[in-house]
Amino acid sequence: MRRRTKERLFFLLFRGCALVVALALLIIVGNIVLLGIGTISWEFLTQFPKRNFTDGGIFPAIVGTLYLMTLVMLIAVPIGVFTAVYISEYQGKSRFANWLRVAVNNLAGVPSIVYGLLGLGMLVLFFGWGFSLIASAVTLAFLVLPLVITASREAIQAVPSSLREASLALGTTKWQTIRHHVLPYSLPGILTGVILSLSRAAGETAPILLTGVVLTKSILPQDIWDTFMAMPFQLYALATQTVFEKTQDFQYGTALVLLVMVVLMNLVAIIIRNKYREKYKW
Amino acid sequence: MSESIFVKDLNVWFDKNHALKDVNITIPKNEITAIIGPSGCGKSTFIRCINRMNDLVTKCKVTGEVKVDGQDIYDKDVDVVEVRKNIGMVFQKPNPFPKSIFENIAYAPRIHGKDEDKSLRGTKVSKYSKKELSDLVERSLRRAALWGEVKDRMEKSAYELSGGQQQRLCIARALAVDPQVILFDEPCSALDPIATAKIEDLLVDLKKDYTVVIVTHNMQQAARVADKTAFFYLGELIEFSETKKIFESPGEKLTEQYITGRMG
Repeated sequence: MRRRTKERLFFLLFRGCALVVALALLIIVGNIVLLGIGTISWEFLTQFPKRNFTDGGIFPAIVGTLYLMTLVMLIAVPIGVFTAVYISEYQGKSRFANWLRVAVNNLAGVPSIVYGLLGLGMLVLFFGWGFSLIASAVTLAFLVLPLVITASREAIQAVPSSLREASLALGTTKWQTIRHHVLPYSLPGILTGVILSLSRAAGETAPILLTGVVLTKSILPQDIWDTFMAMPFQLYALATQTVFEKTQDFQYGTALVLLVMVVLMNLVAIIIRNKYREKYKW
Repeated sequence: MSESIFVKDLNVWFDKNHALKDVNITIPKNEITAIIGPSGCGKSTFIRCINRMNDLVTKCKVTGEVKVDGQDIYDKDVDVVEVRKNIGMVFQKPNPFPKSIFENIAYAPRIHGKDEDKSLRGTKVSKYSKKELSDLVERSLRRAALWGEVKDRMEKSAYELSGGQQQRLCIARALAVDPQVILFDEPCSALDPIATAKIEDLLVDLKKDYTVVIVTHNMQQAARVADKTAFFYLGELIEFSETKKIFESPGEKLTEQYITGRMG
């Protein structure tokens, strides 16, 4: 009997822990949805903010975040995927590759404010790029690179070596094997990793805070050297620098839009993964 | 009998492990040569030297000479890609690409293009037309005795085929490149007896046009299909002669012990 009681006790403990997690998520999401949904309207999504964020909408912040994500993707994806190919296909056992692996793993643990400071010191000031969309995008690209590399590496290494051998034995070059087999077969995994990394970048505040984001701007960014507005920073600034009662609706509305955007991205990642998992089975 | 593969003083190391020791062997053209021996004796290592698949293994060192049709494939000027085009390989586990049946066969010819002139291999190539490509695919599948079973579902995934069909697809895929030698690395070890019998029939049929080398741990298989048999033990070639002689009156004590099941 004692054994069974113990068994039950542990079962309850595990279930309790899982419940806490589910509850925390529910409270956060529920709170934002309940309080934010009333603010969402066509005007809120398509207008510039008016009267110190008490009227109008968050259009420029949405556009800013989208611009930023596009740039981050354009910078981080090629570099990340090619680095992963290099590590796993070309230089698997070399000392440089080992060192690179350690570096990548450690980079993933660096706090985002440190990336922000790097961006400020190196890109904004030393390179003289100034407070700009491109400085923020490159900083965020640094931040997500380890995630992109790790996800791509795992996807590439999941391609069985028997398929590489099959291709090479037919007299194809290494690059042909990578381009026609390894990359296509690992693409779903890579895409999933990329989208998840981007959704992480979408919510980052510290790196852009120091490199290019502004709270208000009367026009959309004109080019990559321009400053921009973005949802996470807008949220942070409103929450810390305004009277809560006045901007409450705006804060919850922004949080909800950001949340929906991130959830949508994750959903797309899941759909892609499931679709291609069927297509490439071995 | 003319020679197809000539191996002299072949030594292979994987890091510090001396996997093949002073192997000397001459493999005849248009015959089936079986490589037998207990696990870890260097059978697969040997066969993978013939199309330089061991190049893919880090810390693998190969010394000695391997000549295929008179050309030393380990020569510095030799393009490993050309070597592998000329020497097809079929692996232990069927490994079709996760693509359609048609694409599996058409992939390599499309990459390599059409040789206008054999003597100018690789120097003067043009693309296959759609018709030529589908003819080539059909020819290769027929040659691998698979055409009848797949002709109505060429666009279906290769993974819908059974294990034995997949292996014949892999053979057809190798044939489509028009090699002179085909290496089989335990091609039936993952197959049931019926599928195995089909592959064996195919092997015997293929030797008319190709030099066939097959690694097998199934001695009956070697006895059934091979013209010549080589017995490897602990990285050394112990005996190489007519299959009949190996199985009926082996010249070496080790060979006799192995084929009678007292070792291995």
